[in-house]
Amino acid sequence: MNTNSNVYTVIYTALIVVVVAALLAFVAAKLGPAQDANAKAETLRQMMSAAGVKPTEELYASKNAEILDLYADNIQEAYTIGLDGRKNGELSVSKDKIELVSKLKPQHKAILAEGDVTLPVYIFKSGISVIPIYGAGLWGPVWGYVAFQPDCHTIAGAFFDHESETPGLGAKIKDEPWFREKFIGKTVEWGDVPAFRLEKNAEAAGATNAVDAITGATMTSKGLNEALNIWFGAYEKHFGAGAFFNMLEEHAIDTTTNAEEE
Amino acid sequence: MDKKLKETILNPILKGNPITVLVLGICSALAVTVQLKGAVVMALSVIAVTGLSSLVCSLLRNTIPNRVRIIVQLVVVAMMVILVDQILKAGEGTYAIDKQLSVYIGLIITNCIVMGRIEAFALGNKPIPSLLDGIANGLGYGLILVIVAFFRELLGSGTLFGFQVLPSGYIPNNLVILPPFALILLGCIIWVHRAFDKDLQEK
Repeated sequence: MNTNSNVYTVIYTALIVVVVAALLAFVAAKLGPAQDANAKAETLRQMMSAAGVKPTEELYASKNAEILDLYADNIQEAYTIGLDGRKNGELSVSKDKIELVSKLKPQHKAILAEGDVTLPVYIFKSGISVIPIYGAGLWGPVWGYVAFQPDCHTIAGAFFDHESETPGLGAKIKDEPWFREKFIGKTVEWGDVPAFRLEKNAEAAGATNAVDAITGATMTSKGLNEALNIWFGAYEKHFGAGAFFNMLEEHAIDTTTNAEEE
Repeated sequence: MDKKLKETILNPILKGNPITVLVLGICSALAVTVQLKGAVVMALSVIAVTGLSSLVCSLLRNTIPNRVRIIVQLVVVAMMVILVDQILKAGEGTYAIDKQLSVYIGLIITNCIVMGRIEAFALGNKPIPSLLDGIANGLGYGLILVIVAFFRELLGSGTLFGFQVLPSGYIPNNLVILPPFALILLGCIIWVHRAFDKDLQEK
């Protein structure tokens, strides 16, 4: 057979592409659930590390199934809010179908565009609530989870991760426990601009809402600082003074209905 | 084992090492050698991709139209790379390493060793020798990767496979972590290799 004829070449390439595509689609469909389970367990590990459910090393040494159990045992409730700070959805916390808002990028875009967002709030039985943050580092996205004490003001813990920051420099936001431990006991000043500062020499000024940036990782620190402030801004109406006004407003509706009754 | 087969396996590891002698696959050797664990997984992934791609291309060698052979090879290599990436992502134990290697697993497709061996060997040889040639070249690549990663992790983080080896008073050298140092180390390895193997020395 002439393997150099035009007809043969076209049919051959078409065939091989179809075969490879079919094979890859099959494999992707088969492995998809396992990959999603890994990603979900990873998110839960990071959230529980921030919330201080267990030490980070122990969480990373645990199997996926144990992580799901641990989360189900420790979580109180999970829901989503909009930019107005009001609940706009519930997230299931039952062991068999744990729901998370794991794709943060679309939410990040929606926050910037002031559009419709579904921002998750995870409240643990210890009273600690965890929220995610997301932004751009030097080489790729950076994200993380910040946990608040029941006063919604003091930071109880944090965990940060990244896709491709420089190992030994920007990657310290994840690799070095001392970095995330610095956030413990700091505060977020809801409504202030900026609500939090991750900057050079920020701690020296004595403010409680400040953490020093990492030397040699200027762009990663800047990106993380921006991510923190953008997301804290989005949650302000839920945790900050806005929450109080929301409550007042709801209360006011109540009094008017009462007045009508009288 | 006959002499030719032995040559096929040993040559890429020593005398014809893809990195130190052919100077192929340098970019990933610089990028994924910060830690030993990542380097080992990367090496295993490359071994799987070069071996299997060579095998498949060798099986197809008499049917591939000559004019589009590079494209066909590319399709085969891309498929293998995606398979490896998907499998690493699905494994409970390998998920974290896949995240750490991030884009570099996907970039195995651009590793010149893979296409180079298919063009130079698999298209003209039977499937079994082609498979062995692919694996051996992957091994030769992996060997250098592991050597470079050993020094970079030891001096850059004071650890090996994540375990603290150097005393805690050791201040990690940040230069070692950055890619240029991998190039310096690679140069040293090539130097040592040539000093021992007189055949490789240029007159």
